[in-house]
Amino acid sequence: MSRAAEGLGGWLLQRFTAVYLAVYLLAVVARLLIQGTPGYAEWRTWFALPWMGVLTVMFAIAVLLHAWIGVREVLIDYVHPVWLRLVCMAVTGLVLLGSLLWVVRALTLAAMPGTA
Amino acid sequence: MKAQRVLDSMDRHKPAPKYLNLLQIKLPPGGIASVAHRISGVLMFLAVPLVAWLFALSLQSEQGFHAVRAQLASLPGRLLMLVLVWALSHHLLAGIRHLLLDMEIGLEKSRARASAWVVNVGALLVTALYLWASL
Repeated sequence: MSRAAEGLGGWLLQRFTAVYLAVYLLAVVARLLIQGTPGYAEWRTWFALPWMGVLTVMFAIAVLLHAWIGVREVLIDYVHPVWLRLVCMAVTGLVLLGSLLWVVRALTLAAMPGTA
Repeated sequence: MKAQRVLDSMDRHKPAPKYLNLLQIKLPPGGIASVAHRISGVLMFLAVPLVAWLFALSLQSEQGFHAVRAQLASLPGRLLMLVLVWALSHHLLAGIRHLLLDMEIGLEKSRARASAWVVNVGALLVTALYLWASL
């Protein structure tokens, strides 16, 4: 991919992920507002649903991509020494990837019966 | 005359004017919306690992779930939620405005100014509403 196409890809990806993040979050907030604060059993049953698990992992992946593109843009603007920028980007990537895997692990465990 | 001004502006020995005092900078509504879009995004990025950890803990066990609820009910937890509610609502509203501008909706100066104002004030209103509802 050329550098220009990479930029365009990031630009489009930022918008696609933004729409998914907004729709997922508004749906979750709407449900919480309508049904009130859930107890543990209800909360866990909800995220143990296969489709909810998949939608939530997709949400976590969208967060990773969206935050990566956004933080990278901020770092390019404000962190000028190249080595420092690379360190910041590496830390950003590790934090985002670690958080994603942590959520995937939690959802997988929640979907397995008898692990409470 | 004009050439002289260009030469003056190219004179590197002259100190460049700097307006870095936040109290002296007068940003238009669009500038405020844009800067706050970035700040809110960075704040939410910083919260990602914490939110992921709290989410995992809330699903892990009954005790974990109640530990998370207790954390969120504490003063630091409430402050964190307040900041995140503002960050999320501003980022979301500014993002929607951004997408509309991308589609060339509301590009005229007066309408872009008005929508930026709606974003800035709207996020504060949502935050105030959340604060009021959580008291």
